[in-house]
Amino acid sequence: MTELTCIVCPMGCTLQVAQGADGITVTGNSCPRGAQFGKAELTDPHRSLTTTVHTTLTTLPLLPVRTDGEIPKALVPKAIAALAKVLVEHPVKAGDVILPDLLGSGIDVIATATATE
Amino acid sequence: MQSAAKLTELLRGQFGNTVSAKEQNGILYLSGHLPDWDSVVAAGRLCADPKSRRMVVNDIAATGCERPKMQLPTMEDKALEGAAPDVLVIGAGVVGCAIARELARYDVTVLLVEKEHDVGMQASSRNDGMVHPGIDLKPWQVKQKYNLAGNRMYPEICRELEVPFARTGQIIGITQAWARAVLPLSVHYWRRMGIPCNYLSRDALLKKEPHLAPDVACGLEFPTAGIVCPYGLTIAYAENAVQNGVKLSLDTAVLGMKVQDGKIYAVRTNRGTIRPKVVVNAAGVFSEEIAQMANDRFFSIHPRKGTNAILDKKAAFRVQTIASLLGTAATKSAHSKGGGLVRTVDGNLLVGPDAVETAAKEDYATNAESVHATFAKQKNALPELSEADIITYFTGVRAATYEEDFVICPGRATKNLVHAAGIQSPGLTAAPAIGVAVAKMAAELVGTTKKNSKFQPHRTAVPHLSSLPQAERNALIHQNPDFGVIVCRCEEISRGEIIAALHRPVPCDTVDGVKRRVRPGMGRCQGGFCGPLVTQIIAEELHKPLEQVCKSGEGSELLLAPTKAETGQSNF
Amino acid sequence: MKENYDVAVLGGGPAGLAAALAADAAGASVLLIEREGRLGGILKQCIHDGFGLVRFGKKLAGPEYAQHFIDALAQSKVETALLTFATHAEQTPDGVKLTLVSRAGMHTITVKKLVLATGCRERTARQVAIHGTRPAGIFTAGAAQYYTNILGELPTKRCVILGSGDIGLIMARRLTLEGAEVLGVYEAKPTPSGLARNISQCLKDFDIPISTSHTVTRVFGKERLEAVEIAEVDAAMQPKPGTAKRIDCDALILSVGLIPENELAETLGVALDKRTKGPVCDQNGQTMTEGIYACGNALHVNDLVDYVTESGEIAGRAAAAASAQRSLCPLATQGEFLYAVPQQIDLATLKTQTVLFFRVSREMQNAMVTLSVNGKTILEKRYRHLRPPEMERLAVDLSSAGLAQNSALLLTVKEADKTE
Repeated sequence: MTELTCIVCPMGCTLQVAQGADGITVTGNSCPRGAQFGKAELTDPHRSLTTTVHTTLTTLPLLPVRTDGEIPKALVPKAIAALAKVLVEHPVKAGDVILPDLLGSGIDVIATATATE
Repeated sequence: MQSAAKLTELLRGQFGNTVSAKEQNGILYLSGHLPDWDSVVAAGRLCADPKSRRMVVNDIAATGCERPKMQLPTMEDKALEGAAPDVLVIGAGVVGCAIARELARYDVTVLLVEKEHDVGMQASSRNDGMVHPGIDLKPWQVKQKYNLAGNRMYPEICRELEVPFARTGQIIGITQAWARAVLPLSVHYWRRMGIPCNYLSRDALLKKEPHLAPDVACGLEFPTAGIVCPYGLTIAYAENAVQNGVKLSLDTAVLGMKVQDGKIYAVRTNRGTIRPKVVVNAAGVFSEEIAQMANDRFFSIHPRKGTNAILDKKAAFRVQTIASLLGTAATKSAHSKGGGLVRTVDGNLLVGPDAVETAAKEDYATNAESVHATFAKQKNALPELSEADIITYFTGVRAATYEEDFVICPGRATKNLVHAAGIQSPGLTAAPAIGVAVAKMAAELVGTTKKNSKFQPHRTAVPHLSSLPQAERNALIHQNPDFGVIVCRCEEISRGEIIAALHRPVPCDTVDGVKRRVRPGMGRCQGGFCGPLVTQIIAEELHKPLEQVCKSGEGSELLLAPTKAETGQSNF
Repeated sequence: MKENYDVAVLGGGPAGLAAALAADAAGASVLLIEREGRLGGILKQCIHDGFGLVRFGKKLAGPEYAQHFIDALAQSKVETALLTFATHAEQTPDGVKLTLVSRAGMHTITVKKLVLATGCRERTARQVAIHGTRPAGIFTAGAAQYYTNILGELPTKRCVILGSGDIGLIMARRLTLEGAEVLGVYEAKPTPSGLARNISQCLKDFDIPISTSHTVTRVFGKERLEAVEIAEVDAAMQPKPGTAKRIDCDALILSVGLIPENELAETLGVALDKRTKGPVCDQNGQTMTEGIYACGNALHVNDLVDYVTESGEIAGRAAAAASAQRSLCPLATQGEFLYAVPQQIDLATLKTQTVLFFRVSREMQNAMVTLSVNGKTILEKRYRHLRPPEMERLAVDLSSAGLAQNSALLLTVKEADKTE
């Protein structure tokens, strides 16, 4: 059995995750999303990623971005390296896709701030 | 005055046979070794005779106690190679800067060198800012003469240099009831020395300092005491000196001298060799080392640390002047006039300092014990005092001689040298008078009494917008809109003031330099909000990358690399 | 800028944005005053996600959360004054007179109501009694965050973090992602201060160790920080002798607490609560000084921005309403609370829902929180866990509780017996 802190919401439930004969059981969760998280942690952990990318915009030389969903945890270092090379050269609105399908994960990277010039 | 033989006997009686005293050329040399630094200091003290001309040079080693060498700038160039000023002033503390400025009144060329990256980096920025009335000095002391003269000069010098100065007066309370009978008489003692003094009844005292100890019986007031910003005055002196033609070289340490037949021929620095006609030793805690290089060492410095705490402006209403209770000022035994509780010119409350002997001349590290002890002591004077109001604390090191007096005189063995050494408290008070006197001595050694007809005594300060009347502030903002952009919210300092601080006669390119000139970061958030903004303004204004902006001197860069440069290499 | 407004909101962070929008929606003329060149407050540099779960049901990044309100502001009648700083405030018979400074000069405006949304500041190294030298390399977590996320500059390559507040944990992850090495997080208290999920996703994910009951006692280095001294502390937070050890690093990052900013409030004579360090207020965010309101982190330090927004909306809406004579009943606490807000209930403006926030002063299991009027329980809530770092919200109907000015309105907390 593994004990985990659920990171889905600020409640931070302590989960007990066990691999049994008929699959993974999760206890200690307060909601179904906690159960999902517990199972995923054991099999294929995912994380959302936030960072910044360079821009040529004078009002916002560094644009904050995030993954629009979660990517495999193991992909995080490569994702950071890939985003370090991105340069945004046009005005953006929060929510605009900055890098589609990050490293083939199917998850887009989106801007989290608006910059006009 | 006791003979060297007698002193050797006394020393051995107290410290054992490992030490001895010897007199030569009117100097008392102590030699040998002792187990710890405090014993070395005690031995020096035992032999000091403040009233005689014979001074103590203490060469007793403390076994197992390392005395750190002077910290030197790392840069090396030839910027000063071949310079031949009439006067070379070593050390740009308040004394060196005052001397340089007063020398600028004469028709001489002056070079002022400082090993730090800014002026006033050591004792001159690490004290309580008190302008002393001179109450615990003795008539025979050199420092008393300069204290009284310096104190009188303050209003005018601060007007000329546009430095805030407040003649707040000093109040000393006494809790013992018997003092009511004696104290009114003691007033005459100070008045006879030329120090204005008034007796205060309990009611009169509590009217002036309502928060002082409730059990106070009576007290004394010394109306000539005042408060100045010590680094503010140092910077102002330096700026006015440079404005009047003095050449200032920072990051410049004196490493050695060529002396022959009682004359300094050359002074070697990390930035080239200088050939001055006359040298002024204003090197603070290192004035003994400079004297040694000049073959004119007849005194020793035993450094003494003092720690002060600065409290939030919100706590300042509790003190109106400079206040203490008799017996609580960190003074007497330690030969230093601790201010006790000081309302600073900037409206903070300062508490301290204490006095601790140290072997390390540049040991500016603070200790919790110092702060606790100072507060415990001063709580007797001000029961409402709370460590929770502290916004920062700092330590300075006093350049004390064993005679506990200033050394202000031409060299004894070396003739083209003037010492302004051993300047500890009340050095800030005395600085204006030392400046005038030493400048005169140096000019005489150069051989001129001719005045510089172009001397301009007035220095214009960076405007401090938040203290200006609204109409004046408005007018300045209309001239320069940057004066209307507040960068430091605690002290209400504008972008315009910060930019102005970067373009003054004395170069300033660091966050601390800006802080000491126009105060962003001096408030309760200690630069948490404005530090990054000031860093950014320095980079923009001086056209350098952010990673080259330093906090204080060389090697104090705040930022190490752009983000993303190293990603991919990290192994998380 | 006009000379008169119904409402001025000081601070353009999440609380101020919400207050300005709410006051505008309630029909007031509103001026929003912001010191910086961009709206959004500290959220601009909080590029991590997790904001807005309560409000929008989504995990948003800080700037994204702020943008929702900035966009709404553009559609409203709120006037915004950027790069504008209030230097002085005073009460006059016509309302609050504010002196503002900006690139255009000095301006005086008079407003009927003033909403303080000035946020909070970080505690500094000196305030947690760190001694030693004063080198470059000591940063508050917020300053380190600004350098990293706004300027794109690393303030460290190898650091120690003191304090386990959320910003410190977030910065541990952020710096690691940008290539710096975080040697460890040290917390003087026996339990971490940040949210459990941040311990997990910011530290555990990156194998960053956390040591509780440990603190930094000293820093070393003349120009740049070279090392820190760590020591174990006892229950009174005093270093235990013989436990000191030196850790070589180039920076010390501090996440040791936040203090509401209320300097202007104090000049107006607004009464402050020693526990929250923010103003004493009623359920509308109105301070004990008529016409002066406070919200967000200026009122008390929150851990969720969603609640900051809510408090801004409450204060903004109330500030837009006509002044009425208040009838106040104090809310008292009994038991181990750090604080509860509001400290006063205005009976004249009671609505069917009143929002209370509280923090307990120690970790508790199976705790029962009870709200009573004159000894009669009107609300009971059982909590599996209560922790000091986690602020709890209670929504309660006080309008039908028969409250009077002299009622004993009491919030209590009791931990269930272990044997239960």
